[in-house]
Amino acid sequence: MAKHDTPMLDELEKGPWPSFVSDIKRQAEKNPDCWDILGQLELSYRDKITHWKHGGIVGVFGYGGGIVGRYSDVPKQFPGVEHFHTVRVNQPASKYYSTENLRALMDLWEKHGSGMTNMHGSTGDIVLLGCRTEALEPFFWDLTHELGQDLGGSGSNLRTPANCLGQSRCEWSCFDTEEACHHLTMHYQDEIHRPAFPYKFKFKFSGCPNDCVAALARSDFAVIGNWKDDIRIDQAAVKEYVAGNIPSNGGAHSGRDWGAFDIKKEVLDLCPTECMWMEGDELKIDNSECTRCMHCINVMPRALRPGKVQGASINIGAKAPILDGAQFATLIIPFIEVTAENEFENVIEVIENIWDWWMEVGKNRERVGETMQRVGLPTFIKVMGLDPIPQHVREPRSNPYVFWQEEEVPGGFDRDVEEFRKRHAA
Amino acid sequence: MGMSDDEIKAAIIEKAKKSPKPQLYIKDFYKCDPDTKPRKIKNLANALVREGELMFWSSGSTTMYARPDRIKNEEGDEGIN
Ligand code: HEM
Ligand code: HEM
Ligand code: SF4
Ligand code: SF4
Repeated sequence: MAKHDTPMLDELEKGPWPSFVSDIKRQAEKNPDCWDILGQLELSYRDKITHWKHGGIVGVFGYGGGIVGRYSDVPKQFPGVEHFHTVRVNQPASKYYSTENLRALMDLWEKHGSGMTNMHGSTGDIVLLGCRTEALEPFFWDLTHELGQDLGGSGSNLRTPANCLGQSRCEWSCFDTEEACHHLTMHYQDEIHRPAFPYKFKFKFSGCPNDCVAALARSDFAVIGNWKDDIRIDQAAVKEYVAGNIPSNGGAHSGRDWGAFDIKKEVLDLCPTECMWMEGDELKIDNSECTRCMHCINVMPRALRPGKVQGASINIGAKAPILDGAQFATLIIPFIEVTAENEFENVIEVIENIWDWWMEVGKNRERVGETMQRVGLPTFIKVMGLDPIPQHVREPRSNPYVFWQEEEVPGGFDRDVEEFRKRHAA
Repeated sequence: MGMSDDEIKAAIIEKAKKSPKPQLYIKDFYKCDPDTKPRKIKNLANALVREGELMFWSSGSTTMYARPDRIKNEEGDEGIN
């Protein structure tokens, strides 16, 4: 039985889509505290202001992350949500679960918390919504001892790393995203559980430029699978596609008749760098111009595959709009080998190079992408010990000034003024 | 070489006691010894949390450090604990 009148929330149950309001009502039948979530939200809609208070000292002993303190600012009216802390639990790589594990997790959460969840939060974690401060330690004990699972990151910590399912299911993955994500999660436990930085820092791993975890948009450090050599072409399969014997895009567009497959219209003309053409019935690619957009491979997966020399590109500095607008990550390292054989040593070296610099130069609450923007890409590339390459350049310069570094000028910036004045009187 | 670990820890505690605001960013502690690497200072501040000298305060997106006695008063004033 509903505890509060919620006419505005009820409207949100009327559309054709699943409704979070219906979900909360269903859970409230089990756990009456949840009626107060709806009551407080209805009040917020009426007052046009949030009634959640942010932050505080909640946590479990020894951890500086994984639990986000939330309190109601109207606890007398809604005692069920007086404390409503969020718990982030580190998800397994690729989010593979056994139903046994899911059931155990849900039982644990009904025991200690509200039973409300968000599978998964945008960082990737299992998000358990709403529990009281005194329930945190018992919950954490059971989570770690019974399920062998651990909290994820929050605050100024390394956030829970996430990956696409990579080589476990996908033929395009250019490195083992699960291994990389798992290894670095274990390697950086201290940074995940305790604050380490001026602000949050996120890793994400996608096996190819399709970037199914949206690493490019959502992580400070995006590792995106890539190849160095040529796209592999099976010319016989190309002919099959052209003849209409293999459906394009793996049959994804079969719900409607789009007409006969037209390789010119659907592939060649859509290549963003215009580096593909037909010579008779042979498909040609100028690989040095290919920007790895994946379009042609997505359309004709049986004819085209990523090259054989595989690794990843590292893109740094994406973020959501907080101080300035949202931004995508910037390509910094076009190709790096990513392999468990060296325990990801070369990737770790790049990460720590960034951290050492950002911890010193980054301002409070400044994401690394904002620090990069503030100092400028040329400075950042220098800090990283890299040589600038054409891929670092976004557009031709419009600024006619050239600023030389002292070491680029023969003899440096010191000069003999006396000598100069002999030729040019003051 | 900069200060010893114990000297840095003492300086961190001193700073957390005297700062106008009870919560401090990790960066505020870097100045305790400019010759020591930020990651080392971070590790020492986190050690002080384990020892009970400091406490984490988190908004959810940012984490700050405070003396337990100073932060508890703050929260008490706001009526949340
Ligand atoms: C806080 C004070 C000042 C700031 C922040 C400032 C900032 C700047 C900046 C950013 C530029 C452009 C530099 C570039 O081309 O990359 C500039 C140019 C210039 N400033 Fe200032 N400025 C300040 C004070 C002054 C004063 C007091 C004077 C003269 C008495 C002055 C004279 C100039 C001149 C002549 C230029 C053009 C230089 C050139 O391109 O030939 N500035 N200033
Ligand atoms: C009869 C006196 C002057 C003459 C004929 C003169 C002439 C010029 C000329 C032809 C330019 C180049 C403009 C261009 O190419 O865009 C220039 C630039 C400049 N003059 Fe003068 N000038 C005179 C006095 C002064 C004085 C008294 C000052 C400062 C107190 C001054 C400061 C500058 C500056 C800062 C520039 C660079 C402007 C820029 O491009 O940012 N000039 N002047
Ligand atoms: S990002 Fe690429 S490798 Fe990973 S699942 Fe998506 S298509 Fe496959
Ligand atoms: S991957 Fe993209 S850029 Fe490269 S050849 Fe195919 S369509 Fe062109």
